[in-house]
Amino acid sequence: MSNAGIDSSRHPAPIKVLIAALGGEGGGVLASWLHSAAILDGHLAHGTSIPGVAQRTGATTYYLEIVPGAGQRHASTAPPVLALNAAPGEVDLVVASELLEGVRCVQAGLVTPERTTLILSTARVYTVNEKAAMGDGRLDGERLRQVAERFARASLIADLGATARELGCPISSVLLGAIAASGVLPMPEAAYRQAIAQEGKAVEANLRGFAGGLAAFRPRPAVTPEPRRAPAPDPRLADLPVAAHAVLAEGLARLADYQDEAYAQDYLGIVRRFAAMPGADAALVCELVRHLALRMSVEDVIRVAQLKLRAARLARVRAEAKAEASDIVDITEYLKPGPEEILGLLPPRAGRALLARVSHTRAFAMTVRTTRVSGFLRLRALAALRGWRRKTLRFAEEEAWRRRWLGLIERALAADPAAAREIVALAALVRGYGDTYRRGAQNFERIVAELIEPKLAGGLAHVSLADALVQARVAASKDPEGEALGATLAAIADAAARPRAAAAE
Amino acid sequence: MAEVSFAKEIEHLKLGDGETFYGEGILAVTKALLQSGVAYVGGYQGAPVSHLLDVLVEAEDVLSDLGIHIETCTNEAAAAAMLGASINYPLRGAVTWKSIVGTNVAADALSNLASPGVIGGALIVVGEDYGEGASVIQERTHAFAVKSQLWLIDPRPNLPSLVKAVEMGFELSEASNTPVMLELRIRACHMFGSFPAKTNVAAPHSAKHRLGAAPFNYDRLSHPPVTFKQEVDKVARRLPAAQRFIVEHGLNERFGPTAGEVGIIVQGGLFNVLNGRMTLAGLSDADGNAGLPILCLNVVHPLAPEEIVRFCAGKRAVLVVEEGGPDFLEQAIGQILRKGDLNVTLHGKDVLPMAGEYTPAVVGKGLADFCRRYGIPTPALDGWLGRVAAQRAEVETLLGAPLPARPPTFCVGCPERPVFSAMKILRREIGPVHVAADIGCHAFATFEPFSQGNSILGYGMSLASAAAVSGTQTNRPVSVMGDGGFWHNGLITGAAGAVFNRTDNVLVVMNNGYSSATGQQDILSSAQAKDSRGIGLDIEGALKSIGVPWIRRVRTYGIAGMVRTLRQAITEPGKGLRVIIADGECQLARQRRIRPAVEKQVREGKRVVRQRFWVDPEVCTGDHSCIRLSGCPSLTVKPNEDPLRSDPIAHVNNDCVGCGVCGEVAHAAQLCPSFARIDIVRNPTAFDRLRRRLGDWLIARLGGPSAAPQRLQPAE
Repeated sequence: MSNAGIDSSRHPAPIKVLIAALGGEGGGVLASWLHSAAILDGHLAHGTSIPGVAQRTGATTYYLEIVPGAGQRHASTAPPVLALNAAPGEVDLVVASELLEGVRCVQAGLVTPERTTLILSTARVYTVNEKAAMGDGRLDGERLRQVAERFARASLIADLGATARELGCPISSVLLGAIAASGVLPMPEAAYRQAIAQEGKAVEANLRGFAGGLAAFRPRPAVTPEPRRAPAPDPRLADLPVAAHAVLAEGLARLADYQDEAYAQDYLGIVRRFAAMPGADAALVCELVRHLALRMSVEDVIRVAQLKLRAARLARVRAEAKAEASDIVDITEYLKPGPEEILGLLPPRAGRALLARVSHTRAFAMTVRTTRVSGFLRLRALAALRGWRRKTLRFAEEEAWRRRWLGLIERALAADPAAAREIVALAALVRGYGDTYRRGAQNFERIVAELIEPKLAGGLAHVSLADALVQARVAASKDPEGEALGATLAAIADAAARPRAAAAE
Repeated sequence: MAEVSFAKEIEHLKLGDGETFYGEGILAVTKALLQSGVAYVGGYQGAPVSHLLDVLVEAEDVLSDLGIHIETCTNEAAAAAMLGASINYPLRGAVTWKSIVGTNVAADALSNLASPGVIGGALIVVGEDYGEGASVIQERTHAFAVKSQLWLIDPRPNLPSLVKAVEMGFELSEASNTPVMLELRIRACHMFGSFPAKTNVAAPHSAKHRLGAAPFNYDRLSHPPVTFKQEVDKVARRLPAAQRFIVEHGLNERFGPTAGEVGIIVQGGLFNVLNGRMTLAGLSDADGNAGLPILCLNVVHPLAPEEIVRFCAGKRAVLVVEEGGPDFLEQAIGQILRKGDLNVTLHGKDVLPMAGEYTPAVVGKGLADFCRRYGIPTPALDGWLGRVAAQRAEVETLLGAPLPARPPTFCVGCPERPVFSAMKILRREIGPVHVAADIGCHAFATFEPFSQGNSILGYGMSLASAAAVSGTQTNRPVSVMGDGGFWHNGLITGAAGAVFNRTDNVLVVMNNGYSSATGQQDILSSAQAKDSRGIGLDIEGALKSIGVPWIRRVRTYGIAGMVRTLRQAITEPGKGLRVIIADGECQLARQRRIRPAVEKQVREGKRVVRQRFWVDPEVCTGDHSCIRLSGCPSLTVKPNEDPLRSDPIAHVNNDCVGCGVCGEVAHAAQLCPSFARIDIVRNPTAFDRLRRRLGDWLIARLGGPSAAPQRLQPAE
């Protein structure tokens, strides 16, 4: 059976547009401008949307079809048949206000190399899971961008969110300008401007954004970034790998600020001692330089007070909060040191004795205005305890932890340098304050007790300690409850107990 | 007052003959109601049909001109019962709600409405919340039409068709004395288009021209013995009348050639998707000039057997394109073919899926499969399907991992989020408890980072759903309910039931002042104010009056207090229902109200304090506990500036409205000292300035803030 002849030349084909936005970003307004501009210019425009739970941050899509020159059919009882959904491979223009949402369109086949012009703002609004990860859960933005670029026929991929911020206008108006500049739609610039005026809301700001979007699509001369000059090696650090110098300098400065010059020299001494050990390669030294500096500048109460008294903070806060010169800005700190933090200021014996008597959930919530005299004085008094720090319980505990950690590295270096490097990296687990700190320290202890000690004692015959430590470190950052770590350690123990079965797999 | 202002749309509702209406599908339906001479309108809000009522509520002058009585009903059962006015009186009326859920709630009234039938046209506009963007369980309204004998219109999605569906819907209803449902899928409701308007028609009897004495007629009651008569009347008189009307008025449409070996029968609502794929296959065009015979069923129940027989006669095969299950249409058509003794092969759910939305790719695949069986070449369609699959696979390979979903979440400054922060903090202390979730914004707590909620049993049903859980678990379960759900039915089904049965249960009522998830419609407890339909009913008073022994009111933003109260409610010994009323106005509504006022004050030079929060980048260590406990969209991450650290640090962006939850969370969970509140005093007074100068001077005398350390730059 043959097809009945369909004469598709009678009407011009609709131009199909898809807008992917997040709730509250003005995707609906953008669609409405496009409808108005098309109608004003004598075209037929219709469309639909999945607005999601509008203004509530979920993904939303708007789909439009514009039939050039068919404006008179608006008054007809038999309009063209709107495709209710954007169909893969049949979209002429995709506009996305966020990188991930743009790539989602690519994945759904809505951006195709044969047909689609892509206008994509690379601004990221991270998903909850990206933000909530215990370490760095962010997607690789560069990879997303490459995928988007690869599947578009033509593209404008730029941080249009930044353009909108600079111009003080909604991103939707910048996107509208970019749409006009793309030339995919038949309307002249004047029609878009008229549509903005007709909508009647924040007309001035939106026209500004529209102009910004128009400009964004104009090709700009490529700027070749100046090649970075590698820093020259520091002769004072000649015995240490060059790759470690920059971080080492940072570490030295930080520790001198944290405690004193002698403390910074202690740090350098430890680094030198390890760098001289057989098996300590540049990679290990670099990691050690970084983690040791962090472990030696633990944010105790004294340090937090010191950081919060920095002069540069206020200027920074003012800029971030977009305060004007005539505004008065106050900063109120939310502090809630627990007994470990407060009693940690006492000498070890007294501190331990008292800690044994109080519940560790007792904490002292306070709000401190550092921009007022009373608040300033309180923090000033705490920061002044710097000279006392070496005598405190917290300092003693940190020193003990460090000694233990460095001892494990040293022991491992002799047997398995790769594993030693992973023990260095394990220090990243111990950080933060309160529960986070306690949990990290517990995880560290657990890994030491179940992996490092048994292996260094000659056990876990068929387990690569370096691999096991990587797995454990990653697992410990999976969930705060430590379930992933427990499962990973159990799996490693299981594999160690049944080496043949594991080998057979 | 809803979150969107409809001032412009109201003007569109006043258009008359010769003018063109531009706008959204659901507003075209609204306009069509006015053109059809309705006497009363009601409904319950819910996507995607909320705008129908929202716009009418604002269009007071239009309604009073036409004498239309409007009610924003307390639930869908009330809306369905409202159609009772058309049982006895020649009044046209329309109600609306979200389906399937609203239809479920309305079921009792619908049965009792359908049995006696109506004299005045009765139209039920249901938003068929199915497929992408849907927020409810995936079921079809069709089942209700079949079991109660209501007629179901599923119009072709374009504005003139929707308008015609409304106008003909009323006529069909009156011609067959049967209520008619008009189902609109999400995309149809939100469709933007145009149609030639007609002048609005005032009903002969309405709020303006009231009816006289009420006649008594036992036949109009759904009460025995007349129910038996009515059952017979439905099938013996009303059904044939409807079938006759459908055929005579050509409600179902024919496309394509009259003859052909194979044909397609499609639900009106799916015509556009089908046509899109047929166009690609070279079997149709953008105007629906199909190359195959198509019967487009704008009325999907009842079917007129003669129409089906006429379409199918002489064909080898027919494809039924019918979204979702069960395959009501396919079964009905199969029976018609069998009884008509037609030897036509019937296809439908063999080439198309029983479950899930009929997207272009899904329909394309089914169409290609069908065409292949009957020797119709569709190379363009086949190639397209291959390319779509190939690109998906290629992108997935390039990305290396699936893209994360982006479900909706609580807004910046939402008053409900801190309740779940408190519950998460408490969970660490007392272990996980059963959480009965409900319908509303608070259901977002089932997503990351809160992941709380063990069941959802319907709107306002959370407490009722925990009844047996409470009797069988160590810890009291916690039921969460919005004020919307509370008034919808939670007060009776949940609270009164728990009091009556002396159930040990904890109920948290989110008192945010509106039906927020559906677009901030006013509910019974909404404050009385200008432009508000609220009457300020008191939730606490209602609970007291039914004898709830334990009620606490807590400001949601005070997390420590919320944790304390929750702990008390869950763990303290004692019997009976415990209710926590979580007070905090919907932040979207609040911002909409105060933002213009604050801007005005700033412009007028008045002293205004703006607050927002800030994360100290030097103190944050990048663990993100705060994000896992707060989940605020304005609390995000940014690259670490510290060359010694690599993990991104927390960061508060300028969307922050200064609700204070992140600071409260940092305190309550004893997280870290990174959070600070920033008070920005605009237009400071002379006293403010003097105090600041004095303070700065004193601080400078006391040593002043310190400089950051100089970084030791390695020698060049």
